[in-house]
Amino acid sequence: MARFLARRFLGSVGTLLGVLVAVFLLVSAAPGDPARLALVGHGPIGARSPEALAAFRTMHGLDRPLPVRLVSWLGAAARFDLGRSFRDGRPVTRRIAETLPATLVVNAVALLLAGLVAVPLGVRAAKRPGGAADRIAGLLLDALFSLPSFALGLLLLLLFSVKLRWTPVFSDLSLGFRGIALPALTLALVALAPIARVTRRAVGEALASPAALTGRARGEAPREETLRALRRAMPAFAGLGAALVPQLVAGSVLVERVFGLPGTGQLLADSVFSRDLPTVLGLTLVSGLAVVVATLVADAASALADPRIADGEEA
Amino acid sequence: MSRFRSVRTRLFVLGLFPLVALLAPLLARARPAEPPVLARIVTPVPFDPDATDLDARLRPPDGTHFLGTDDLGRDVLARLLHGARVSVAVGLAAATLAFLIGTLLGGAAGTFGPRADRTVLFVTGVVQAFPALVLVAAGAALVPPSAGTAALLIAFTGWPEVARLVRAEALRLSASPHVEAARAAGASRRRVLLVHILPGAVAPALATVPYVLGGAVLLEASLSFLGLGAPPPAASWGRALADARESLTSAWWCVAPPAAALFLLVLSARKLGEALSESR
Repeated sequence: MARFLARRFLGSVGTLLGVLVAVFLLVSAAPGDPARLALVGHGPIGARSPEALAAFRTMHGLDRPLPVRLVSWLGAAARFDLGRSFRDGRPVTRRIAETLPATLVVNAVALLLAGLVAVPLGVRAAKRPGGAADRIAGLLLDALFSLPSFALGLLLLLLFSVKLRWTPVFSDLSLGFRGIALPALTLALVALAPIARVTRRAVGEALASPAALTGRARGEAPREETLRALRRAMPAFAGLGAALVPQLVAGSVLVERVFGLPGTGQLLADSVFSRDLPTVLGLTLVSGLAVVVATLVADAASALADPRIADGEEA
Repeated sequence: MSRFRSVRTRLFVLGLFPLVALLAPLLARARPAEPPVLARIVTPVPFDPDATDLDARLRPPDGTHFLGTDDLGRDVLARLLHGARVSVAVGLAAATLAFLIGTLLGGAAGTFGPRADRTVLFVTGVVQAFPALVLVAAGAALVPPSAGTAALLIAFTGWPEVARLVRAEALRLSASPHVEAARAAGASRRRVLLVHILPGAVAPALATVPYVLGGAVLLEASLSFLGLGAPPPAASWGRALADARESLTSAWWCVAPPAAALFLLVLSARKLGEALSESR
């Protein structure tokens, strides 16, 4: 078990280093002069003078050779220093930290909503394949997998904010739950489909296992049987958690744009627009970090829930 | 019921989208005031998709504009038909490219020994560590947005799944007698990969191509929605939805058509993928 965890940890560190270097190379390989890109279109005309460009390059360290920049960027990133925004000169980490609460709250509410609906639905579908719950789940999943989150969000916005006037047209955390109900609902619907599908498959497999048959023979109550099957499905849920992270990150970018919610996703879209490279890179890095960490945690959780997973890999 | 589930039916349904995309310039274009009868039949939508008419902004659907007009007075139906061109072209180009990259890298990983395998797995892990949309958006910050760069960026995020499947199959084939015989007969590594392994190894990956296509269409729409896809006035469905957001309170008819079109295209791609993997 310890060896399994250690190896997975080392693997994640390797991937993380790869992520860091990939992010750095992504910028350096870009055509065009970042200083020119950043200054043209913003600031006063004087900002485009050669002196201003040179000053900007010195300020952001763009005048040093590539390997030096890579090493210093890696060192800074290790200290959570992602440089300063081209836009307003403030540290990228602070800009991210400011927008993160809104995004995290919306995502947490969305996950809670999705789990409350999707897990029971998946369990029902698994208990009676081909039954009503199974067919409803199947239709729902087809629909939710095919409709882009932003189109879904716009349709919800049309219904609840424009027709029924229950919710504000622009979301805001300060309005309380009403202010974030729609983005949370949209993201919940995005997460609903994968959760229900994984629950149905994992619980179905657990119910079909010899252990479940033994339980039934022993006269286990249906409730107890379900709980046991859910526990046996833990590794699948851990993997699902890791797989949901990239979906929710991408969903947040789009959904925040739809509802005008000032969160981290909006920050990414705005930074891409204004070619604010340090912020774009910082956010790319943070999202990559989130996925790597989530995968590692999921691996550890599933190995703890089912030690055979760790043994199987060591053998 | 089973007839509707056949691969051929679903391929036909999906094929309607490229057909509309190809015919869009005929179906929807400006026509003279007194058109000959033939032109009236072959051009059911008499509006240029990019022609603005500021006197006819945000008109609800009626006999002239079957699906109404948008905030610049452009015909929604004409833009919907032309939007299929963007979605289908970018989606097909990205899916094809992703399939090629994935096949080559996955095949190389499965054929060229453990070191190549580890390298490809590492690169796959790094690419998959990013949410595809974030990677594509970051790329869009670095290169000027266009339909071509969108397709390239989407392909770059779409190949790992294909590579994984081809690699597994190539690893299996790599140990099979016919490949061993080819190696013993002195076939070069490239020949072993291209002639003896890939033809057998691509089959399972082919079944995922519709899913990759659906994902690519969704990504293109998302990118366009964020304003990072093909620049205006390209009639992309994602951009149409972004524009519709601005006039949402007064014009619901701008939202529903592009949303429905995207939904149907992605759904039919997924359904084809389902049928393909079931028929194997």
